[in-house]
Amino acid sequence: MSAPSGVSAGAPSGTSAGVSAASITPVVVRLKLSLLRNGLRQSTGRRAAFIASAVLVLLFAALQLLGLIALRGNGHAAAVGVLLVAVLALGWAVMPLFFPSGDETLDPTRLVMLPLRPRPLVRALLAASLVGIGPLFTFCLLLGAVISVAHGTAAYVTAVLALVLALLVCVALARAVAAANIRLLSSRKGRDLAVLSGLVVAVGAQLVNFGAQRLGSTGGLAKLDPAADVLRWIPPASAVGAVDSVSAGSYGSGIVQLALCAAALAGLLALWSRHLTKLMTSPDGSTLQAAEPAARERGSSGLARLLPAGRTGTVMERSLRYVWRDPKTKAAWVTSLAIGLIVPVFNALQGTGSVYFACFAAGMLGIQMYNQFGQDTSAFWMVALTISSPRDAYVELRGRALALLVITLPYATLVSTVTTGLLGAWQKLPEVLGLSFALLGAMLATGAWSSARFPYSIPQEGYKNVAPGQAGLAWIAIFGGLISAALLASPVIALTIWLNVSADGDAWTWLLLPVGTAYGALITLLGLRLAAPRTANRLPEILAAVSKG
Amino acid sequence: MSEGAKDGGAPAVRVRGLWKRFGDQVAVAGIDLELPAGRFIGLVGPNGAGKTTTLSMVTGLLRPDQGSVEVVGHDVWRDPAEVKARIGVLPEGLRLFERLSGRELLAYTGRLRGLPGAEVDKRATQLLDVLDLAGAQHKLVVDYSTGMRKKIGLACALLHNPEILFLDEPFEGVDPVSAQTIRGVLERYTASGATVVFSSHVMELVESLCDWVAVMAAGRIRAHGPLAEVRGSAPSLQQAFLELVGAHGRGTTADLDWLGGGTPR
Repeated sequence: MSAPSGVSAGAPSGTSAGVSAASITPVVVRLKLSLLRNGLRQSTGRRAAFIASAVLVLLFAALQLLGLIALRGNGHAAAVGVLLVAVLALGWAVMPLFFPSGDETLDPTRLVMLPLRPRPLVRALLAASLVGIGPLFTFCLLLGAVISVAHGTAAYVTAVLALVLALLVCVALARAVAAANIRLLSSRKGRDLAVLSGLVVAVGAQLVNFGAQRLGSTGGLAKLDPAADVLRWIPPASAVGAVDSVSAGSYGSGIVQLALCAAALAGLLALWSRHLTKLMTSPDGSTLQAAEPAARERGSSGLARLLPAGRTGTVMERSLRYVWRDPKTKAAWVTSLAIGLIVPVFNALQGTGSVYFACFAAGMLGIQMYNQFGQDTSAFWMVALTISSPRDAYVELRGRALALLVITLPYATLVSTVTTGLLGAWQKLPEVLGLSFALLGAMLATGAWSSARFPYSIPQEGYKNVAPGQAGLAWIAIFGGLISAALLASPVIALTIWLNVSADGDAWTWLLLPVGTAYGALITLLGLRLAAPRTANRLPEILAAVSKG
Repeated sequence: MSEGAKDGGAPAVRVRGLWKRFGDQVAVAGIDLELPAGRFIGLVGPNGAGKTTTLSMVTGLLRPDQGSVEVVGHDVWRDPAEVKARIGVLPEGLRLFERLSGRELLAYTGRLRGLPGAEVDKRATQLLDVLDLAGAQHKLVVDYSTGMRKKIGLACALLHNPEILFLDEPFEGVDPVSAQTIRGVLERYTASGATVVFSSHVMELVESLCDWVAVMAAGRIRAHGPLAEVRGSAPSLQQAFLELVGAHGRGTTADLDWLGGGTPR
């Protein structure tokens, strides 16, 4: 074994501290490419997903490019271009908050041990951030935007400048936001936030959808002009504004708009550089957590004092804490709460809804009863050890159902009230509530039963909600459960329909509130009773199923 | 301390009045310390003593609230890049680029340090060989075991032939075979006159590896000097350490009187 020349005494080879920017920029760019390539190398699934998303994004980008080029000459082309670029910049600003782990080069704390000075480092990282699908997409859109508004030689020159500046502003914006938030992102709470990204996308899409409907119904593209008049002065949209100004002959405005964009870039780079330096010399999330004073220890929370004593209260408290603390559980709850509210209320606001949509709230939240033990993952052994009889299992399941009801009952009532109020159908409130409660009871019953019969694991890491190989099981549990819940609730549904169609049934619909509530309660108790012995008998099987992944 | 003069006088690390607070908690409470050059130095202390915080501030990874640090004659906080070029660090959390292979990680680390590419690749091959990582050099770091991660981290820290090597708990969670490999490389490195500073709470390890120790507890230095001096008349460093941090005779009183006896509940 020959002695490694590096591991012998002598002058260190790296004494020339502060490696020059010229030499590290290509290295960092290649580093980024290697990371991208290796990420794909890891699994075929990832590769397929990457290629599919790349193709989709590029198709979308190409269509957008064609669309924008087609708009060339249209009076509103500038407004559309400016708005699109503004929206795109907004996307760049929020993206790093939601996809922090997507890009390792985005995390400069991995470079802290190297003798790099902030200025060359910022330059190298900026160059590296121009590599990827996102920047390519941005480039296509910016290209389309400037082509749609550029007329004349001066405008073409401006367009090239504008394109480069706007692209750099977008990328620097993402980096600056990421650097400013990296402490948040490297902490547990920050990552919990990231789990909610799916929800933000869903709600955002819903809002865009409603916005587009409004736009379509009230006057088309001309509606955009007032917003664009403001945004054309705000970087990076001001770059497109500059091209438009120069095309129209107002060179002064054009130069100011370009200068604004350049100033924004300089500001963002300075901000990023400052955060980077601070970041590389401050404790990361793990150190901070370790150093957190132990003074926060509390014997029992205020919550515990309100809950019943014994196993019921303990189980309820733990379930409720998990809603808040476990990112996967929290994401599921927040999504359910949001959709349960958005579907009935937005539809009511649009005037297209029905009061019965309010049952969505109960239905969405009832889903949380499914796969109760999957949320525990392998920690289920602690629960399993304390269940020695069907009675224990019954109390455990009842505690979990009660925890769910603590949130669901007031929420479903609120959503039902708001929806009926918006639609001005107060006389329908009792039957909507009764129907909601009956449905909730049916879902709790089937949820408890399928938790025992079809448990599956929810992996803690990553965005997946089902461990590999258990997807079929999850579908059976949820869809089978939903169908049986609908069947179980059918007597109350039938009663509702009958009262509504029969001649003087309307006078009796208030009866649905007590009937639905009683039916829901009864069926929940029955479901728990049936599920308890199954749970108690199948503890090892449940543990094995929820420990996967 | 007199022995430090043997190597030519100038200490490898000079720390003056170093303080660090995290909120209300004082992690490092005014440390003055000189570490002699050319030694195998152990920084020992119980969990939470402030070892990691101190090492981070000494290596330019964490800004101190107060105090100064000089490494091989350069003020760390006046010019961190200059100092980072002269030292190698294996930090505790060990954040690496997970989706690079071991060899790629070394290649990029060396190039980012400004070493010529051919030299980096030559050194990488030798380090991978010596550290028993040659077989796993094309595996991604994300798939490495704890021992392999420590070894590749050590390789990154050694790649530029630093004057001083700082290691934070290098043997934590490492299997005996990897530990022996790491030990061999470190002993070879110090034999050539370089300085190693490493933190640990495993006294037997420190006793067998180091010839100079500093004992930390509750953010302060309790004792420092050549191993034999710190150990004094105690039979082992472990005993001397327990006396120094005042951990003797704790936890043998009437607590836990319900434990044992064979009647659950």
